[in-house]
Amino acid sequence: MGYLNNQVVTVDAILTKKGREAMAKNDGSFRITQFSLADDEIDYTLYNPTHPSGSAFYGEAIDNMPLLEAFPDETQTMKYQLTTLPRGTAKLPVLDLGYSAITLKQGASLAITPQTLSYLGNAQTYETSGYSATISDVRLLSTYTGVGVNTDAATSSNVNATTTIGTNVSKTIIGTQINLRATTINTLFGSNASIAATLTVVGLDSGARLTIPVTITQTT
Amino acid sequence: MSFKRFEADDFVVSSDAITSTLWSTDAPILTEFYTSSVQAAGSSGNFYLSVYQTSSLTNTQFDISYADSKGSGSEDYNTVVPGKSPSLSSYGQYRALILEDENKSFTFGVDNNVLTTENFWVLSMERARYKESLFPGSKN
Repeated sequence: MGYLNNQVVTVDAILTKKGREAMAKNDGSFRITQFSLADDEIDYTLYNPTHPSGSAFYGEAIDNMPLLEAFPDETQTMKYQLTTLPRGTAKLPVLDLGYSAITLKQGASLAITPQTLSYLGNAQTYETSGYSATISDVRLLSTYTGVGVNTDAATSSNVNATTTIGTNVSKTIIGTQINLRATTINTLFGSNASIAATLTVVGLDSGARLTIPVTITQTT
Repeated sequence: MSFKRFEADDFVVSSDAITSTLWSTDAPILTEFYTSSVQAAGSSGNFYLSVYQTSSLTNTQFDISYADSKGSGSEDYNTVVPGKSPSLSSYGQYRALILEDENKSFTFGVDNNVLTTENFWVLSMERARYKESLFPGSKN
């Protein structure tokens, strides 16, 4: 991605591969209803609260920096979205999936129940709004569903969640429990003994985020 | 605030796969490189230079930038704060974006041939050139 001209305020909007997939359905379901903010490329060590010219210059090295163009791969951008936490929060919440990596044999199933640590004064808790879980390549899974959350967003995201489709798009589901089953389709492996993707889980209340690798090993 | 409104013409529904070369005019190899002296003299020139295919400077092919962890190679934002310069901002920008840790350093190479470096050059491909993704062997 090239740079954006920071001499003017610019909103650079593009569709990710996932967005184009939704738009290509051409069934009216493609509607942008929300947005989020992120600061992936901001290095806060550049903030200088001892700048001798005063507070107007504390952010000089950040404010002058040109930002990069929007990036079309949703798994590689917007990793650090801004979130709202209670005033006085001393620790940032973090997620615990119970796994640092997932390896499944073809056809094997797994249920993940995410927890949030250090959130709202609790050492560990389950978030009321649940968790979103994004698999970077949905072809790896023959079943991919979220259960336990009954909001409209969860219902719509979990519709038709059981699929192994032919294109390597990501898929996001919402729930308090994430159920997945490894694909049984051999052709995806080619000459490889295993195929890999990433699973990114985000706490919908806390904004805490965790990405772990997912590997499916061929058995037949 | 500057923006361009989404129009109906901006939406093209197609399932066709499009493959093309990285550079404009379907050129497989970029053989000529042009930069803008106007940009070089402007504020953005302190951070990067856009590289064009022709002297008409119409389509940016990529941007080139220098990053240095000590701020060397570019003029300080303010003479009273030495070392705080565009090259330092660029280093921090890519460190945050790629390494995702403000305490890490960039390393290049593998096995016994690993180099930890305080500075590097960045070639940022213009999005209009690489479309969705950049394949190995495209940058010729």
